[in-house]
Amino acid sequence: MTAPNAGPPTAAGPDVHPVLGLDDVVHQRVRLGILTIAHEARRVEFGYLRSQLELTAGNLSKHLTVLETAGLIAVEKGYAGKRGRTWITLTAAGTAALGREISRLKALIDRVELTPDGL
Amino acid sequence: MTTESAPAGGDARRLLSDVRSLAHRVRRDQRATWIALLILCVATLAAIPFDYYFLVAHCTPVGDGATCTFNRRGFLFYWPPALLLSYAAIAVCYVRIARQRGLGARVLPYAITGAALTVLFTAAWVGIRLYLSHYGTPADPLPSWYLLLDRLVAPAGTIGVALLVLARLERNAALLAFTLGYLAVVLVPIDFGWGRNWDIHTTFLPQQIIDGAVLLAGAIGFALSGRRQR
Repeated sequence: MTAPNAGPPTAAGPDVHPVLGLDDVVHQRVRLGILTIAHEARRVEFGYLRSQLELTAGNLSKHLTVLETAGLIAVEKGYAGKRGRTWITLTAAGTAALGREISRLKALIDRVELTPDGL
Repeated sequence: MTTESAPAGGDARRLLSDVRSLAHRVRRDQRATWIALLILCVATLAAIPFDYYFLVAHCTPVGDGATCTFNRRGFLFYWPPALLLSYAAIAVCYVRIARQRGLGARVLPYAITGAALTVLFTAAWVGIRLYLSHYGTPADPLPSWYLLLDRLVAPAGTIGVALLVLARLERNAALLAFTLGYLAVVLVPIDFGWGRNWDIHTTFLPQQIIDGAVLLAGAIGFALSGRRQR
């Protein structure tokens, strides 16, 4: 995927280790997965996220709450016929946060590869 | 090896790999390429009666044969509304299919591009004909650049150019390969010698059948491949 609206690499400047700029809300496998899917899909249904990320409904709900509280996603509840459906969309802040996270992960990999002895 | 950087790099690499794999899966699940090709195939085959009944041919005997000029009036009656309706239908079907799968769709830019190309290429097609009716057609045999341009701005060419946009939007390498093959068939026509002795009104029939058959084969191929992947 392409990095969406990647912001500056880190707030602290280029000499600071990229690990220090990682956002704890986003730098988590499941939450990063949610943001990635929502970015790529434009709009994603709860059931799709659950099946792709192989989570229980309760576990996924907890992660969604963290992201919603941080203002990174918007949750919309509706109906498809008689079935309730929950749709998740990425907010502008979520798109920016995802872009920053991906930039930092790439910077981290570059940093590790540039370390002497190939580390 | 430092105790800090190696795990961090490994973790970052794994996360990025997960991100790419998830994005790829979402893009694959959003695709409904077969429905786009099927709708365009139906539009192509449904054009045949319009072309047959509204074709005006003027033939002048030359030696043992004849030189004919064709005016495909059915093009203007049929194709602009048919293509616009097709792109609208494709957009609706894509959105519905993606929604059933629990996803949003990314088809709107394709539908808008297709509709814009339809208007633009129809204008170009009419413009070329008006220019030729005023200044005369190039000497027979027609130059290859003229034939290529004429086929590109014709509806089958428009469909191919718009499909390139869909392939880009979906980052669909298989659709890109299919579209290049389709454009090759459209721009360098083959007719296997069919229809040489048929009615003059069926002059363009073999090419239309081949174009429709290529789209149908693509629709079947993408449907089967999509079903296997899911």
